[in-house]
Amino acid sequence: MDCTLVRTLLHRYCAGEEDCVDSRTVYVGHREPPPGAEAYIPHRCPDNRIVSSKYTFWNFIPKNLFEQFRRIANFYFLIIFLVQLIIDTPTSPVTSGLPLFFVITVTAIKQGYEDWLRHKADSAVNQCPVHFVQHGRLVRKQSRKLRVGDIVMVKEDETFPCDLIFLSSSRADGTCHVTTASLDGESSHKTHYAVQDTKGFHTEEDIDSLHATIECERPQPDLYKFVGRINVYSDLNDPVVRPLGSENLLLRGATLKNTEKIFGVAVYTGMETKMALNYQSKSQKRSAVEKSMNVFLIVYLCILVSKALINTVMKYVWQSEPFRDEPWYNQKTEAERQRNLLLRAFTDFLAFMVLFNYIIPVSMYVTVEMQKFLGSYFITWDEEMFDEETGEGPLVNTSDLNEELGQVEYVFTDKTGTLTENNMEFKECCVEGHVYVPHAVCNGQVLPAAATIDMIDASPGAGGREREELFFRAVCLCHTIQVKDDDEVDGPRKSPDSGKRCAYISSSPDEVALVEGIQRLGFTYLRLKDNYMELRNRDNDIERFELLEILSFDSVRRRMSVIVKSATGEIYLFCKGADSSIFPRVIEGKVDQIRSRVERNAVEGLRTLCVAYKRLIQEEYEGIYKLLQAAKLALHDRERKLAEAYEQIEKDLILLGATAVEDRLQEKAADTIEALQKAGIKVWVLTGDKMETAAAACYACRLFRRNTQLLEVTTKRLEEQSLHDVLCELSKTVLHCSASLTRDSFSGLSADVQDYGLIIDGAALSLIMKPHEDGSSSNYRELFLDICRNCSAVLCCRMAPLQKAQIVKLIKFSKEHPITLAIGDGANDVSMILEAHVGIECLLHFPSVFVPVLLWVFTTDPVRHCLPDSLQHQLHLPPHPAAQPDGAARRHGHTQEGSCPLQRHRQECSPLLAGVHLLDVLRRVRCSGVFLRCLLHV
Amino acid sequence: MTWSATARGAHQPDNTAFTQQRLPAWQPLLSASITLPLFFCAGLAFIGLGLGLYYSSNGIKELEYDYTGDPGTGNCSVCAAAGQGRAPPPRCSCAWYFSLPEFFQGPVYLYYELTNFYQNNRRYGVSRDDAQLSGLQSALRHPVNECYPYQYSAAGLPIAPCGAIANSLFNDSFSLWHQRLPGGPYVEVPLDRTGIAWWTDYHVKFRNPPLVNGSLALAFQGTAPPPSWHRPVYELSPDPNNTGFINQDFVVWMRTAALPTFRKLYARIRQGNYSAGLPRGTYRVNITYNYPVRVFGGHKLINFSSISWMGGKNPFLGIAYLVVGSLCILTGFVMLVVYIRYQDQNDDDEDDE
Repeated sequence: MDCTLVRTLLHRYCAGEEDCVDSRTVYVGHREPPPGAEAYIPHRCPDNRIVSSKYTFWNFIPKNLFEQFRRIANFYFLIIFLVQLIIDTPTSPVTSGLPLFFVITVTAIKQGYEDWLRHKADSAVNQCPVHFVQHGRLVRKQSRKLRVGDIVMVKEDETFPCDLIFLSSSRADGTCHVTTASLDGESSHKTHYAVQDTKGFHTEEDIDSLHATIECERPQPDLYKFVGRINVYSDLNDPVVRPLGSENLLLRGATLKNTEKIFGVAVYTGMETKMALNYQSKSQKRSAVEKSMNVFLIVYLCILVSKALINTVMKYVWQSEPFRDEPWYNQKTEAERQRNLLLRAFTDFLAFMVLFNYIIPVSMYVTVEMQKFLGSYFITWDEEMFDEETGEGPLVNTSDLNEELGQVEYVFTDKTGTLTENNMEFKECCVEGHVYVPHAVCNGQVLPAAATIDMIDASPGAGGREREELFFRAVCLCHTIQVKDDDEVDGPRKSPDSGKRCAYISSSPDEVALVEGIQRLGFTYLRLKDNYMELRNRDNDIERFELLEILSFDSVRRRMSVIVKSATGEIYLFCKGADSSIFPRVIEGKVDQIRSRVERNAVEGLRTLCVAYKRLIQEEYEGIYKLLQAAKLALHDRERKLAEAYEQIEKDLILLGATAVEDRLQEKAADTIEALQKAGIKVWVLTGDKMETAAAACYACRLFRRNTQLLEVTTKRLEEQSLHDVLCELSKTVLHCSASLTRDSFSGLSADVQDYGLIIDGAALSLIMKPHEDGSSSNYRELFLDICRNCSAVLCCRMAPLQKAQIVKLIKFSKEHPITLAIGDGANDVSMILEAHVGIECLLHFPSVFVPVLLWVFTTDPVRHCLPDSLQHQLHLPPHPAAQPDGAARRHGHTQEGSCPLQRHRQECSPLLAGVHLLDVLRRVRCSGVFLRCLLHV
Repeated sequence: MTWSATARGAHQPDNTAFTQQRLPAWQPLLSASITLPLFFCAGLAFIGLGLGLYYSSNGIKELEYDYTGDPGTGNCSVCAAAGQGRAPPPRCSCAWYFSLPEFFQGPVYLYYELTNFYQNNRRYGVSRDDAQLSGLQSALRHPVNECYPYQYSAAGLPIAPCGAIANSLFNDSFSLWHQRLPGGPYVEVPLDRTGIAWWTDYHVKFRNPPLVNGSLALAFQGTAPPPSWHRPVYELSPDPNNTGFINQDFVVWMRTAALPTFRKLYARIRQGNYSAGLPRGTYRVNITYNYPVRVFGGHKLINFSSISWMGGKNPFLGIAYLVVGSLCILTGFVMLVVYIRYQDQNDDDEDDE
């Protein structure tokens, strides 16, 4: 609340200057630009004070009371209490006042305490020392004194005090590593790049001599978007203009890793940082029960008012005879006789309100709140969810959503990291049809299958040999892995056989797995030094490649490339990506063999990547360089231009081979899914993986069974038929069958139920979701929903993060308004988790250590995502991270096998009842604590 | 929420039956074989109880006479006409003659009954001072404001007992005479007027103020009787244990009725020859007619009644039990029919799965 207030005030205050400007200009180090430059209008920016607390000492009582009485129930009881105080009522004001004040006081104490903690945290943050660069010297100041334009130095493992433009780092290549675990939950390291022209300024004196201005957009909450421009002035010539992107922006809340120190200039401070903006914009989740109970409350209020009204009228009708109004034995006082009739009627009306106010019981509110509170404790107390390795049990973010857990009808789960362990293991690679399996040692365990497949010396010819080595080099070079030299990284994967300890760090575990796998095949990636990538080949020689460009990975292209220059001066473009994005761009190579291998691997549930290359001559490279430079410099539409450039560059490739990485299923994932399906809960898997892999995983976890009839809405199919036809056909199959099913079940004839599973990919989904030209998009959506409703399992593959949220939203607002639950890990699921009624986040603490740790975060309040892990509410399912909401349900599989009353009930009764039965299951295995339904929130 | 983070932290949860939800619990599965017998048993039990209550209530004899004095209804109409429009009405006596053809099984209770009298009116119901009635000296001099307009007399003296309830004390009196033989003399039947109030009311709630020089009258000096009263409170009865605030008629009246038609106990007949009941013969009730009821459309009745183990005559309770019991059995039958009718289908459905 406060934040918005501050912002609106700010806006109002600065309206004169800022309304017309949608970008801001920052003077680095507060140095005025040279007179020749454009005249900039100065802006007022807030200081770097973070205010996450709601109250101050002075406004606590009024503001807290105001907030509490905004709740409809509290307000109602307050009104009743006041009426009782004012008029002469039949019941004493104490009867309604006492419970009300009990509730108010307890809540106020709780909120006050929480706010006090927040104050403490705030002031700790605001007062923590920050190194400023002033007049060429380092000065320690409190963080809140930081202003836009200040130059700041941050050391390793410190968090950034505000949003900074990365000027230079202690690393020679001008990069730094950052973990944003407390911002978006991704614990992997990300690489950020210093501005090219300033990365040479390594000391305070240097940096102080920098003369530059930065133009950037107004503060925006999107964490991954930033567009700006830096003008570096030097005495000699015109200012150098460089584009700034999100890779140059270091966000407040992120932590510097593996870099000794960096310099940056503050662009957004305080409440304008992206973290703070994210903090403000979300509202708290409320349980569906609470919402509906508020409606009931209003209905009852209406009943109450009309009751009081009728009674007042009847009273006056009754006492219209004088001997009833005032018999001799019951005389009125003089004052009563003279009181205004209307006033009398009104007080009578109020008195009736008070008399009947028990129609809305205050005690229920108190009881319910207590029970929810206790219920959340039962979750935290649960031994089954306690993880012994980390010594942490589950923590409940909010007790408001307990009762929703028992009513969940749809479970949306992410595949990677949730159903599977996200613990990648290099399985094999295939070069031109020859299959290589890395040397049988994998973390000290001998792979049993290793002996049966062709080994490296299946002796291709000389040309084959060359291709093979090129493939290994490509895998070794085409990645964004950082090498961490010391052994104190959290969650490093130690390379088994290199002499010195080194660990690979990457945002994608696949890459690490690949590079490690290749290491076992003889090629070791050593490090990136001075823009040269070093690797050790089989003969133990060190090869050096100059890294020219990185065409980084994005989820739309689904591939990445590097352009390197070998020691002999040859320029290569290596490209690695999903098969669907590589094959169309390949002009040469043994496509068919590799494709068949890839498909086989995909069916086995392996994650496959294809590797291709292209040899460039110098002129070509120069063209590419210009193209990229132009795209990168664009201030507007940079992303689109970059994508176009990438598109142009990554073509006419020569296919080298493919890799396969295994991501094993979580223990008991299959049991869990089965139990959930038995309970009639629909499980949807939303994944970014390719269809075959995802489908294989779904079979493995028994989401699809042998007799499940698969329906596909995929891009491939849509190429043959129009979307309309496909949907109509599918809905005919499904609906016809379900119709016959219901008939049969009544006559007792149907032998077994036909299961349907739907597979849809991202592209098809966006077609369905896309509004039509004539605005009749709802048709497809309805049709799609109809199909989905009749499928026991749905698999959505190739999904972008936003699409995941779209799907959840689609179901959430379908006409039955089912309760949804989303589980996921990492950043790409956050939107989905926030969208669903109940969100569970399982953070893989250490993605690359063999500790299958699941953290479940019941999110209600996205802010928690922005807080450090320790404050988050983590539900741990320790020894067996069964993927499901309730690792609970998984055991149900064992306990219920013989007669399954659950199953029977489910088919007869409404979804709500099914929820109740899930509840039974949950309770049976003591995993979920006491969940209460039909509750209200005080 | 921070509390959970701070409260639990990284500690191993306790392994107790409570925290791990292993407390013994009963989760009934309500199937037809349990529910149907339950309904029938409950229904039968209710019907049995209802029949018992109904017949014992019916066995109670009652004899009632409306002596309000509507024109042409006996000799009390004279008194009613005489008292019309005058308050307080003059003393007037009338009588009610009745004859018992057979023995009236005792113990017999004599009630008076008023109709259309709203003792449950809120303004009326709060118009009393319990502190004063419990004998507090200070409250005697300073009655609470609720008593207004019966708080202070016109002369400014505090009214004792104050309030509308006390002011409207029922002040008719009855005596019962028995003529054993036709034409014989009427013999007075002794009425026991002492054991008619609640024990707690008489011994705890109502107390006289401390005597001054051994005199109750002096204790009440400086107070005024309620305006409708003819005599002060300390002269309600010559018996020192039955006068002042602990006069039993007064105590009975002060326990207000919940409904506008109510009965209050006037006396018990349990002395002499009449302890077993009222023998055959002709009776006369002498009524002192004081209390005005016609101004508010009410009636007053005199009522003889015996009691049984379940109290006074009250057919409602028995009827309610009978109705609920029969509903139970009816529901049971309906469910039985549904169960038998659809049982087979259920089995089929189960076979399907």
